[in-house]
Amino acid sequence: MNLTDTELDALTEVFNVGVGRAAHALSELARSTVRLNVPKVEMISKQGVTDGLTQQGADRICAVRQEFSGVLNTEAVLMFPVQQSLQLVQLMVGSDVPLEQLGEMEQEALAEIGNILLNSVVSGIADVLGLQFEGTLPQVEMGPLEDVLCSRDASDDEVLSLQIDFAIDALEIQGFLVFLLDVQSIASLKSTVQTFLGSLS
Amino acid sequence: MSTATHATPCPIWSDWALDHLQVGLIILDAQHQVVFANQWFLQHAGLESCDMLNKTLFHVFPQLESSHFGMFLAQATRSGFPALLSQSLHPTPFPLHLPAAQRGQDKLLRQSIRIIPMSFSASSDVDQRYTMIQIVDVTHSVLRERLLKAQASKLQSLANLDALTGLGNRRMLNEKLAHELRVSTKTGGNLAVVIFDIDYFKQFNDIYGHLAGDTCLRQVADALRDVCRRPNDVVARFGGEELVAILPETDQSGAMQVAHKVLQQVQLLQIPHAGSGVARILSLSAGVAVSKPLQSLTPDALLGLADRALYEAKGSGRNRVCGFDAQDALIVTAM
Repeated sequence: MNLTDTELDALTEVFNVGVGRAAHALSELARSTVRLNVPKVEMISKQGVTDGLTQQGADRICAVRQEFSGVLNTEAVLMFPVQQSLQLVQLMVGSDVPLEQLGEMEQEALAEIGNILLNSVVSGIADVLGLQFEGTLPQVEMGPLEDVLCSRDASDDEVLSLQIDFAIDALEIQGFLVFLLDVQSIASLKSTVQTFLGSLS
Repeated sequence: MSTATHATPCPIWSDWALDHLQVGLIILDAQHQVVFANQWFLQHAGLESCDMLNKTLFHVFPQLESSHFGMFLAQATRSGFPALLSQSLHPTPFPLHLPAAQRGQDKLLRQSIRIIPMSFSASSDVDQRYTMIQIVDVTHSVLRERLLKAQASKLQSLANLDALTGLGNRRMLNEKLAHELRVSTKTGGNLAVVIFDIDYFKQFNDIYGHLAGDTCLRQVADALRDVCRRPNDVVARFGGEELVAILPETDQSGAMQVAHKVLQQVQLLQIPHAGSGVARILSLSAGVAVSKPLQSLTPDALLGLADRALYEAKGSGRNRVCGFDAQDALIVTAM
């Protein structure tokens, strides 16, 4: 089961709605313009995600994880290379001190930033596609990429992966948002997107 | 189904448990009216139950309505997704203090807040959709982290010093320059960088020995520190005999003036230099570069420009200041 290019294009549009809301909320927090963009949405294996991030030299990552359930069940994992997560928090919190690592309070700030983004993206999908989800609170995880994605066990599993580009002041950061979906959930996502596309034509 | 749920009485200990929780708990109904606030919250807010019950939360705490908390609450209610307000981004949304008996210093409690709307499925079993607000006092964690950071920054400042001159070292230069560039981008100000190089320093060392060379470097460093003493000025040793000044809120002509002053100060020291090709005493060459508003140069690009100007200063005879103006035309000022 896979999504066609047309369906992925439609999803990219839908995701950009939610990401736009997130950018607005994050700008309020940062008191500075935050621009977000989703240039690419694809179905890709966990191994593919791992390879992509490893190529960027990000073997250790910082992730914010939330679960969403409803017509389809998914774990959403927002991932940053550790160094970039430090810069992001430093900018949002407005701290002068360069961070060596995320302390307890900074981790919580990252959880909040991730929570805003994930809630906005999923509520964007829910609104546009007419779905209803329940969500959990965010969890921050840090560690090797394979551990966060559990890609060692099931590296062939396909995930829905979004590249998210952040621009705050002069800083540009690339994050990755991955939706882990089981086969059933992929099927219901596909049929929902098809219904949505049908309603447009 | 809903009658079944209503028929199940709450366990007799539940009120007691809620009131003895060591976190703040507020339950709002669908209209954001307070239907419950636990003892912890009331005590720390200095309120009685009747001050809150059946009033909207924004009536009790008007300052929250147009705050980030208000925005988060509205969004959580609309989307049904739980939200988190971190202490780092919102230190003290609620006016909570230690209970009177424990007050040493009466400061606001640092708060970590969760807004948890009742799930759609749970709310279908009751009359409406409630929202729970959970507030954890993280003041102790904040103090602990502050202490650790203070220690870390003390160690870091030691690690950022150049042992010979007492100026910042290359590492501190990189950090400060990146920071000041971010600040200048945000505030739309100029940021100037000046690189100083001691003329014929190799010959100085050859003639007078390395110990004299070290002393001379220290003297030049002192002169530089003397001239650049605004609070945000940063002076660092770039490497070898090159010293750098980072001058926030300084334009081209201002930076040229500062550079000049440094050259003059060193001239006043009258350090004999028999190996100099330009004077009998020790002299400097300086290159000036400025990152202008909206230019957003990278640290490397800005240092590169200053280095190019320094190269010009040396190429055109040393003992002088060079810089490039907005039209990229070379400005040279000799001593």
